[in-house]
Amino acid sequence: MSAHEENMVRITDVEERVVHWVLAASCIFCVITGLGLMFHAWSIIPTMLGGYYATKLMHIYSGVVFGGMLVYSYYMWKKDCEFEESDLQWVLKAGGYLWPVKDLPPVYKYNAGQKAFFWCLIACGIIILVTGLFMWLWNPVMVPVVLARIMYMLHAGAVVVLAAFIMIHIYLGTAGNPGTVSAMITGYVSKAWCQTHCPRWYADRNKKAE
Amino acid sequence: MAEYIKLIDISKCTGCRGCQVACKNWNSLPAEKTTFTGSLQNPKDLSYNTWTLIRFDEIVKDGKLRWIMRHDACMHCDWPACVKACPSPGALTKTDEGAVVHNTTYCIGCKACIAACPFDIPRNDPALEKMAKCSLCYDRITEGKLPACVTACNTGSLTFGLKEDMVEKAHKRAEAIGGTVYPNNPKYQTHVLYVLPAGITAADLSHTNPNPSMPLSVLLWKNLFKPFTLIGIGAVAGGAFLHYLTKGPHKVHEKKEEGGE
Repeated sequence: MSAHEENMVRITDVEERVVHWVLAASCIFCVITGLGLMFHAWSIIPTMLGGYYATKLMHIYSGVVFGGMLVYSYYMWKKDCEFEESDLQWVLKAGGYLWPVKDLPPVYKYNAGQKAFFWCLIACGIIILVTGLFMWLWNPVMVPVVLARIMYMLHAGAVVVLAAFIMIHIYLGTAGNPGTVSAMITGYVSKAWCQTHCPRWYADRNKKAE
Repeated sequence: MAEYIKLIDISKCTGCRGCQVACKNWNSLPAEKTTFTGSLQNPKDLSYNTWTLIRFDEIVKDGKLRWIMRHDACMHCDWPACVKACPSPGALTKTDEGAVVHNTTYCIGCKACIAACPFDIPRNDPALEKMAKCSLCYDRITEGKLPACVTACNTGSLTFGLKEDMVEKAHKRAEAIGGTVYPNNPKYQTHVLYVLPAGITAADLSHTNPNPSMPLSVLLWKNLFKPFTLIGIGAVAGGAFLHYLTKGPHKVHEKKEEGGE
């Protein structure tokens, strides 16, 4: 074991990293093409992608990939993201991000904020997936127009929440928490990082390793 | 540019369907095979290739049976929900003349206009992935001609002219026959007006919207969610930057390295 590896702890496996990045890439591509379709002033996006019809198709197919990965990630991460009692304390102290907090409840693998993001992603993602599939496949002759209106509206509404939360996710996963991003690239983080961010999981892991 | 209105006087309509045929003829739309359903309604509904038709209603009111023939087509709203919902620039356009015109070349077949329309007018072809509807014969009226359906009307039920003249004509006619003008809503103006005969309201007729308005869902989507997508992303990006400047990144406690376990 090299000196570098000795100081590092593997926190994600290759399956998690692949699913994360396929989900992220398809999601971001959907956001970009979706914004291109929603804002006429941003016609540069559909123009670069080969026109509005091509953009619609890419948005749909990328959305299918997003939907598949979303369902996969639900089964992969739902156990890690189950809320526990101490999560409330973590939320009331804002995780120590906004004001100095001394007695932050020790986190297992994911803190309450990360869990909230996961469940927001699942909830909004399912809304976007279901409404998106509807918008793609509905037959106006057979579906009441009121239902169709709700679907088009919810598709855009869920994106408002999810897009903002994804921005928080990106900041806290990169610049906001130095040393974190490697968890989703190499899969390794430092031991000190584990002590800070997931002490209970780290202790558990060491016990199991003994 | 002058604004125009197509006026439909239901009290003069005999249901000859000349307007249906003229519309097919001018717009080169193929005829559809239909089957007898026991009603005078034929064809049953608007379609990608049928932009106007006569709606037939049997109404029993005050012990009297009445047959109502109503020319149904795009209402050419002043504030069209279909145009607001359309993602592809140029596919649906509100013209200065008042017509709401579709351009099949730019249509991407997303069906947003079909969900948005308060009058249930646009129709799509699933195979072509395109929508179509009445264009108020925009290609004719800009050349000083009448819409094709109006030229074919032999009873004077359909007339076409300048907006002010037609509004005045509609109210005069409604007064003369004791009927009403529909949709007579200053907050939701259309470039098609109906004169309904005495005793008949829009609610009595099939496929009408007695109180047309921009659907709330379209308003929430386009006026609230659309801007707030960017406002949300921008606010978080700005907030994150401020957090980075004022609180700084969340540092890992190197000291704990050896202790803990």
